Amino acid sequence: MRVPLSWLRDYVDVDLTPEQLAERLTLLGMEVKGLERWGAEWHNVVVGELLAVEPHPRADRLSLTRVTVGEGEPLEIVCGATNIAAGQRVPVALPGAVLPGGRRIERTEKMGVVSNGMLCSGDELRLTADADGILILSDTAQVGTALVELHGDVVLDVDVKPNRGDALSLIGLAREVAAATGARVRWPDTDPVERGRSVADRLAVRVEAPDLCSRFVARWVSGVRVAPSPDRVQMRLLAAGVRPVSNVVDASNYVMVELGKPIHTFDAAAIHPGVDGRPTIVVRRAASGEPLETLDHVHRTLDPDTLVIADPVAALGIAGIIGGASSEVGEATTDVVVESAVFDPVAIRRTGQRYGLRSEASLRFEKGQEVRLARIGADRTARLIAEWAGGTVAPGRVDTNPSEPDRSTVTFRPARVNRLLGTELSTDEQRALLSRLGLESESAEPDDRVTVALEPQPLVVRTGADEAVTALVPTWRGDIAIEADVAEEIARVRGYDVVPSILPHTPMPGWRPLPLEVRDAIRDTLAGAGLSEVVTHALVSPRLLDGFALRQPVPSVGGEDQPGGQGIEVTNPLSRDHSVLRQGLLGSLAEVIGTNRRHGREDVAIFEVGKGYAREGDETCEWWRLGIALTGPAESAAWNQAERHWDVDDAKGIVELLCQRLGYATPRYAADPDEPILHPGRSLRATATDPTGEVQLASVVGELHPDVIERWELRTDRVVVAELALAGLAGGQMQDVRSSPPPRHPPVERDLAVVVAEDREAASVADVIGESGGDLLRSASLFDIYRGAPLAGDEKSLAHRLVFAADRTLTEDEVDEAVARIARALRERLGARLRT
Amino acid sequence: MIRRAASEEIVDLAGLTRELHALRDEAVAAARSAASTSELEELEVTLLGKKGRLTVVLRGIGALPAEDRPRVGAIANEVQAAMRAAFADGAATLRARELGERLGAEAVDVTTPARPVRRGTLHPVVETANRIAAIFGQFGFQVYEGPEVEDDTTNFRMLNIPPDHPARDLWDTLYVDVPDHLLRTHTSPGQIRVMQSARPPIRALLPGRCFRYEAVDASHASEFFQVEGLMIDQGTTLGDLKGLLDQFAQAMYGAGRRTRFRPGYYPFTEPSVAFDVECLVCGGSGCPACSRTGWMTILGAGMVHPVVLQYGGIDPERYQGFAFGMGVERIANLRYGVGDLRLYMENDLRFLEQFR
Ligand SMILES: [Zn+2]
Repeated sequence: MRVPLSWLRDYVDVDLTPEQLAERLTLLGMEVKGLERWGAEWHNVVVGELLAVEPHPRADRLSLTRVTVGEGEPLEIVCGATNIAAGQRVPVALPGAVLPGGRRIERTEKMGVVSNGMLCSGDELRLTADADGILILSDTAQVGTALVELHGDVVLDVDVKPNRGDALSLIGLAREVAAATGARVRWPDTDPVERGRSVADRLAVRVEAPDLCSRFVARWVSGVRVAPSPDRVQMRLLAAGVRPVSNVVDASNYVMVELGKPIHTFDAAAIHPGVDGRPTIVVRRAASGEPLETLDHVHRTLDPDTLVIADPVAALGIAGIIGGASSEVGEATTDVVVESAVFDPVAIRRTGQRYGLRSEASLRFEKGQEVRLARIGADRTARLIAEWAGGTVAPGRVDTNPSEPDRSTVTFRPARVNRLLGTELSTDEQRALLSRLGLESESAEPDDRVTVALEPQPLVVRTGADEAVTALVPTWRGDIAIEADVAEEIARVRGYDVVPSILPHTPMPGWRPLPLEVRDAIRDTLAGAGLSEVVTHALVSPRLLDGFALRQPVPSVGGEDQPGGQGIEVTNPLSRDHSVLRQGLLGSLAEVIGTNRRHGREDVAIFEVGKGYAREGDETCEWWRLGIALTGPAESAAWNQAERHWDVDDAKGIVELLCQRLGYATPRYAADPDEPILHPGRSLRATATDPTGEVQLASVVGELHPDVIERWELRTDRVVVAELALAGLAGGQMQDVRSSPPPRHPPVERDLAVVVAEDREAASVADVIGESGGDLLRSASLFDIYRGAPLAGDEKSLAHRLVFAADRTLTEDEVDEAVARIARALRERLGARLRT
Repeated sequence: MIRRAASEEIVDLAGLTRELHALRDEAVAAARSAASTSELEELEVTLLGKKGRLTVVLRGIGALPAEDRPRVGAIANEVQAAMRAAFADGAATLRARELGERLGAEAVDVTTPARPVRRGTLHPVVETANRIAAIFGQFGFQVYEGPEVEDDTTNFRMLNIPPDHPARDLWDTLYVDVPDHLLRTHTSPGQIRVMQSARPPIRALLPGRCFRYEAVDASHASEFFQVEGLMIDQGTTLGDLKGLLDQFAQAMYGAGRRTRFRPGYYPFTEPSVAFDVECLVCGGSGCPACSRTGWMTILGAGMVHPVVLQYGGIDPERYQGFAFGMGVERIANLRYGVGDLRLYMENDLRFLEQFR
């Protein structure tokens, strides 16, 4: 809320600098977000007195004025306005002046006459809405004074929290200032002077939806002359961020800023009479499809959840949100009906959201209204209309529900307040602090109850042996309902610096495993291997989701939710680019590669730990994945090394590194030529188990299909990607190593060159060796692949180094026997032969 | 009787002695002048080997009279020892010279650039969240995680934000096509999930990704990370919160930082506070970074609202506690001097690789 300080001072004395006031309000919970020097934009604009106004010698529509600004010779200034006369005081922009919006004023020649500056309109200064006439200043304004000294102001931008609708008003903020400084709040005079025929004779009001409109107060002002408001009013409204319209409309807006009470005014002549001949207002739900042209000249079709203010013929406006065009107060208006009502906050909020219409008025209605303000607001508005627009206020009000609730009470235990805050404030001190907010209090009666909570079921306790206090809550503080609310009021009026800084000394919870352990081990391992971690959006475009969907998603391990359900869409996305939740990480990582390649980056080696999301019916699923993407040089060319590009073997190496780190077996590889986004000849599934044989890692690894690289403009020739499901990513512990002493007996090594058909996978050879090797075989590693003479054209030789060991010295015979067994198995199962 | 040696030379004591000394002198000179270890080894074989010249000379001993033999034997031993010593010396000298030559030849320009070792980096937001968890971990706070697609009830209702409550304006929400579900707008629903799964004493920390309907600019993001803290016990007060957050500010931003509490507003805490730290840029004197207030707000907090405790199944008459929530990017901004939130999700390696 914008708070012009000069206006605030109408309601409370402030003996503080604007900065001090801003800090006090902030420390009170009314955070001042900004402090604007209103008028700081006027440079070199001073008060001048018109000495003479004469016709311009060569232009009928211009005047030639002589103006004194105090010192020096009077200035000749050419002016186009017609509202000026000698003797008036006016704002003069001297040559070199700068006006709001950065407009510079220089000495210029206008139709043969030199003009030494400019006389300013209120609009040019952004002081009033009047763009036609020159702003006429008070006769008492000191000639030569800088205008900023006369009409400058400081405007505070106060962030009023949603629970404090009462403070969305100058009177409410004046109460806060008073609580902080001890000053007194001054209410404005609200009673209008009443004359003539009573309002009851002139107007009828019927509320047909009392659930949505608990009170409707109307006033009648007759014989008004609609015109611009006094300059002073316009200046205040503009500083408060409200555009001046006319004296009648401005009066209602003025009261909204002043009291926080939204008011609407109608042209009484536009309200159709009811059966008894009186103009009649009906508050009802709209008929389905009922038309209404609103003040913004939009033709709307209403729905039956909408509360309208109507006459017997048609809707006149949407209650609490926006008026209708037909009953708008205009220049021809003579009689005005003032509406000051209390509407259901939820209904107003929903209606505003439905129509996409939220105004200063509806924001206040949404936060709830103090009931008595309906009466006071109507009175005050009628009084101001009569003051600014002339006219007569008809005696009395139409009031559909004049009863005004009394103050509620809240009972609290000062000891509990101290226990919440960690303070030792005496009961008297707590009561004194509350009284500064208008909460009068006394010792609680034995049967007073303390409300601890209201929802989901009320928790109300006896005061017991504790000393308790019952406070009367001012009607505007509907937000104070439970004991904890009182604690907050006490703390904020006292100042939060009363809260001590102590270290918790209460019992500790029992041990709980850290769910980040495995995830962080994986992240550290990958960073150590030269990959950089990225964080990308979980919300992606449908195109990316579809474009990188795996035909066969990587299955979850370790009991996590499985992928493969339906995608989850955002129903109100900010943009299509971020409108669906991703189900894997590959698309996002590809985008990061594209971004970095566009920046001219050669090598990109990245990983991300993130979630995939889907739904199974109305159930949502989330699963963690590790994504890896590699492109460009793994080793860059340097004087001492050749360039080497990332390839699938690197990705497999990274998978094996993780298996090693996490204590899993060496992963098993299986070709996967069927993923459309991957290179059919360079893609695989890698799976690894823990020592118990449980699958702990499942993954897809491969090169992106060249079509995908082209379609997504990744600007690189090859991209190696992997997506892994890993047990523990979602929360798990590192498993302790089971160690064994190093072997005391030397191992025996044998090399075995296995000749197989070209299409035979290396993994199948390794499998047969492993399965047939027996207890003595410790490892078998492929160290060479040979093709060419003397092998046949469709043959290759896979040379393995076999390592045999046992807890004793091996004999040549038993090793020979194991090798023979392996050779036999290779021959029988794979048709392989040995090359010697 | 005089016997003839195979060489037909006449063997007598003096001659044999002369011959041995000559052999010794020759060996000493040769060992000194050998050009390489291999040449030296060859010489050694020639002179001292089984079929070497010394052996040949010594064969003559048998032809000497028996009384002369011990004398010559002694001289022969002396000569042999001297020859061996000469060769050992020569070998040592040669080895030292040859090693020196090798090392000289192997010298490289050590000022050339290294062979690069690939280096990866960890993301500053994840690292900052982990750092926050580590700091609070020292005070017994335990990490929990919750779902990101959250139900409306847990995200709002149970946090004392009923449907159609004006406070909902504080969270611009992204809704999804699963009935009554949304993308969590904060980590606070985790409070409910922790309370429903653990009994006091509770010290919980909830890091994670959050979502808002928020147009993206330098200081707003539609996806971001938060860390929520929750502590519940019988005597947990706002003072405990202040003490703990003071420790946190010291740990994160260095010792001696002034801090303050001021009133804040969250429907799920009562009283609510905002926690400010002395501006890290100007040190409190006022600058554009702190809107000239000298303070920077780093998190929001408060005493858990009794309604929230009740929804969590905890009796607010018996237990009380505090909760706090902070934006990880904001903490990271201050920690690393980052001015634009967008950098974190752009993933330009030129930015990310600065975080070593
Ligand atoms: Zn600063």
